[in-house]
Amino acid sequence: MKEYFEKLKGVLGNKVKDFGVDGTEYSVLLVDKKLLKTAAEIIRQDFDVLFMLAVADYKPKFELNYVFSSYDKPDTIVIRTYITDRDYSIDTLTEVFDSANWEEREAYDLFGIKFNKHPDLRRILLPEDWPGHPLRKDFVVTDEVRNWTGLDLKF
Amino acid sequence: METLKGIRLNVGPVHPATHGVLKVVVDIEGDTVNKAQVEMGFLHRGKEKMAEVRYFSNYYPIVDKLDYVSAINMEVLYASLVEKAAGIEIPPRAVYIRTIMAEIQRIMSHLVYIGSIGEDLGNITGMFWALRERELLMDLVEEVSGGRLAPMYMTTGGSFYDLPQHFDEKAEKALVRVETKINKDYNSMFTKNQLFLMRTKGVGVLDRYMVKKYGITGPNMRAAGIDRDLRKSEPYLAYDKVDFDVVTGEDGDANSRFMVRVGEILQSIRIVRQCLRDLPEGPYVTKTPWLMKIPDKRTFVRQETPRGEMAMYMITNGGTQPYRLKIRSPTFFALRALEEILVGVKVADIVVTIASLDPVMGEVDR
Amino acid sequence: MIFNVIYGEVARFVTAGPAWVVTMLITFVLVFAITALVPIFLGWVERKYSARIQSRYGPVYVGPFGLLQNFADIMKLIGKRAISTNVDRLPYEFVPIVLATLSFAMVLIIPFGGANLEFISVPYSLLFLYVFLAVSPLLVLMAGWGENNKYAMLGGFRGVGQIATYELALIVTMISVAFLAGSYNIVDIVNGQSGLWYGAYLPVTLIVFALTGLAIIERAPFDIPEASQELQAGWKVEYSGIRYGLFLIADYVRLMIVSILVVYLFLGGWLGPVLPGFVWFIIKTAAVLLIIMAPRWTLPRPRIDQFIKFGWNWLLPLSIVNLVMVGGLLLI
Repeated sequence: MKEYFEKLKGVLGNKVKDFGVDGTEYSVLLVDKKLLKTAAEIIRQDFDVLFMLAVADYKPKFELNYVFSSYDKPDTIVIRTYITDRDYSIDTLTEVFDSANWEEREAYDLFGIKFNKHPDLRRILLPEDWPGHPLRKDFVVTDEVRNWTGLDLKF
Repeated sequence: METLKGIRLNVGPVHPATHGVLKVVVDIEGDTVNKAQVEMGFLHRGKEKMAEVRYFSNYYPIVDKLDYVSAINMEVLYASLVEKAAGIEIPPRAVYIRTIMAEIQRIMSHLVYIGSIGEDLGNITGMFWALRERELLMDLVEEVSGGRLAPMYMTTGGSFYDLPQHFDEKAEKALVRVETKINKDYNSMFTKNQLFLMRTKGVGVLDRYMVKKYGITGPNMRAAGIDRDLRKSEPYLAYDKVDFDVVTGEDGDANSRFMVRVGEILQSIRIVRQCLRDLPEGPYVTKTPWLMKIPDKRTFVRQETPRGEMAMYMITNGGTQPYRLKIRSPTFFALRALEEILVGVKVADIVVTIASLDPVMGEVDR
Repeated sequence: MIFNVIYGEVARFVTAGPAWVVTMLITFVLVFAITALVPIFLGWVERKYSARIQSRYGPVYVGPFGLLQNFADIMKLIGKRAISTNVDRLPYEFVPIVLATLSFAMVLIIPFGGANLEFISVPYSLLFLYVFLAVSPLLVLMAGWGENNKYAMLGGFRGVGQIATYELALIVTMISVAFLAGSYNIVDIVNGQSGLWYGAYLPVTLIVFALTGLAIIERAPFDIPEASQELQAGWKVEYSGIRYGLFLIADYVRLMIVSILVVYLFLGGWLGPVLPGFVWFIIKTAAVLLIIMAPRWTLPRPRIDQFIKFGWNWLLPLSIVNLVMVGGLLLI
C-alpha cells in the first residue's frame, strides 16, 4: 500500500498526505482538488477501476472518497479530496477511468457536484425535473417535492 | 431531435422482460438495434438517505429490500460493515451460520437467474422448475428466520436466532434435490438444449477488456475468464476454512454467464455441506446494544454477493446513525455495458442480454 | 356430407325453399358450436398438460377437473371492455373477425373422422385448407399496422417474414402428398393410404409438414411474431376483450386443423384395424396434438433470423427434394 503513496508523492510532492489506515482502508488525502486528474493518472498504472465514489456533505464543503480497485490484486486505495468553493465542481475522471461515468452522474444527481468535461452529465437516478439534490444535508422536503407528480416529464 | 431511420422503442420500464423497472431506449432498424440507452431510477427509494436517519440496528429491514433476490447477502454485508466499524467480534458459530445462509441465498438467487433467463427465451417451464427448486430452499430460510423474501435474519453481532434442530438434515435433503435437478433435468432444458445454446451462444459478449473498462464484477466478470472471487482473494466469514473452486467461463457471452452461475450453484452446495459439517457449538450472537455509537471513522467493506462485488462505505461521526452510507451496486456498473453490447443485436436478443447480466433493480436504483 | 343429411331430415318436414335456409341455420349453429368448443376443450387439455410438465395442478375449480375454466375465460373476454386508442379502425376490427371466420370455414370443410363426416364436401378441400391457413401474413400485417403500436408493427413484420417463408414449404409438402394420392381431396388422400401410410413413404415430409404447420399458426416455440417476452404480444398487443377471444379461438382451431391434417395426410386418417374409423381418428389426433403441444412448454423460442434461415436453408429444400422423389416414385 505504501508504494502507491510514494508514487503519488513523487509527482505531486506535498500536495498529498498519507492518512495511513484511516478507519479501515488505506487512504490518501489530496489537498488540491485540481490535482485529482494527475493523481488518477498515476493510480491508473496500478488500478483498473474506480470502484466507488462516496461523496459526503460536510457543509459547506464536500468530501469525495474515490475508491480504486484492481482486478489482479486485492488492494484498494482511497483518494480523498474536498470541494470547498461554492461552484461545486471538480474534474471528471471519465477519461482516465471509464467506470467513473455513472458514479459521477450519480454524485451529480444526488449532491449536485459538477464534473467538468464529463461527457454525459445528466441525472441518473432521479427524474430530470426533480427539485434539488436530496443527499445534501440541507435538503428539505418542500411542497415542490411533495407535490411532484412526474407528469411534466416527456417520455 | 435527430431524424430516425427506424423505430425508437422503449423497452421498459413496464415490460415483462426487463426484470423490474429497467428502461432501455433502443433505436431499431428492421429487427436490429442501432443504439441503446439505459435509463434507471424507477425504483429509487432513497436508501442512502434513509440510512442517515436510522439507527444502525434499524437499517436491516431496509437493507433486505436492497437486492430482494439475495436479501441475506445484503444483511451479511451490512452487518459486517457495522461490526467492522464498531469493532465487534462475532462468535465462530455465527460466522458459520452466516456463511451457510449466505450460500443458500446465493443458490436461490442463481436459481431465479436460471428461471428468468429461461422465461425470457420463451420457455416458461424453466421458470417454474427453477422456482420449484428455489422453494425448497425458501422453506429452509422460512424455518430459520420466519421470513421468506426479506428474512431479516442477521443482526449486529450474529444472527437473530440459532439454527433450528435437525436443520442440517433438512438442508441436506433440499441440497441433494437441487443438485440432482441441476445435474439431470436442467441439462435437457438448458445446458445441453440446442435451441437454448443457439439463443445464448455469442450473444451479448463482454470480453475482458470491456469488463475492466466498465468495472464489472461477479459472475459476469468470471464468465469473461477473469479468475477473481472475493471469497478467495480476501476471505471474509468462513470462506477461508472451506474448500471450493472459482468457476470461470471463457467466452463472456450469455451462455458462459449462464454456465458460470450453474457452476456456482454446485460450488455453493459444496460450501454449505462443509459448513454444516464443521458447524461449531457455542453462542450464535454477540450481544450488542440496540442503540450504539460508532466513533468518527470511515469504514469500507466489500463482499461477493450473487451479483458481484457489493461494497458499502460508511462515514460515521460518533452518533447513533451513519453520517453517510454509500452503497456500491455491482449491477449498476454492469448495466452500463448494455449501451455497448446491445448495439447490433436483434430485438429478441435484447431481453436475453439484459437477463444474462442478472440485474435486480432494487439494488441498482437503491 | 352432413349438410345433405341434415337437408334430408329437414326436407321431410319443410318444403324445398325454406328447407335450404333451415339447413343452413342448423349447419351454422353446429359449426359455430364446434368452433367455440374446440378452444374450450383444447385449452383445458393444454392447461392440464402444461401443468403436469411444470409441476402444477392446472385449472381445478371451474367445473369437473376444471373443464369449464376456458369457458369461463371466454365469458370473461366477452364481458370485457375493449380498450383501443389511436387505432386504424378498419384493419383493427377486420382482422379478428376474418381470422375467426377462416377457422369457421376450415371446420366447415374438414372431415371429422369419416368420408361423409364433413359439413360441406369440396372437391379440392386440401387446397382450400391451405389457403385458409396461409392467408394470414396479410392479416398479421394489417393488424400490426392498424394497431398503431411499435411492438405490434414489429410483430407484424416478423409475422409476414415467418409465414411467407414457411407457406412455401407447406404447399410443397402438401403437393407431394397430393401427388402420391393423385387428388387434392382429403377423402381420396385418406383412402389412398389403405395400404401403407404416406408417413411411412415420406417420414421427412411428415416432420417438415408438422414444423411448417406450427410455424404458420405461430404456435410456440415458433410464436416469434407474438413473442410475449420481447414484443409483449406482438401483433396482438392492442387487442382486448372478445377480439382477443377471437384470436384465441382461431389459434386453437388452427392448431386442431394442423394436427388433423397431419393425421389425414400422413397417418392414415380414420383408417385402422378393428376399431371404427372415428375412434381411430380421435386416437391419432389426440396423439398428434399432445406431441405438437409439448415443444411449447419445453423449448425456448428461436430468434427470427435463425428461424427464417432454417426455413429457407433446410425445410424448403428438403420439401422440394421430397417432391422430386415422389415424382420419381410415381414415374417408376
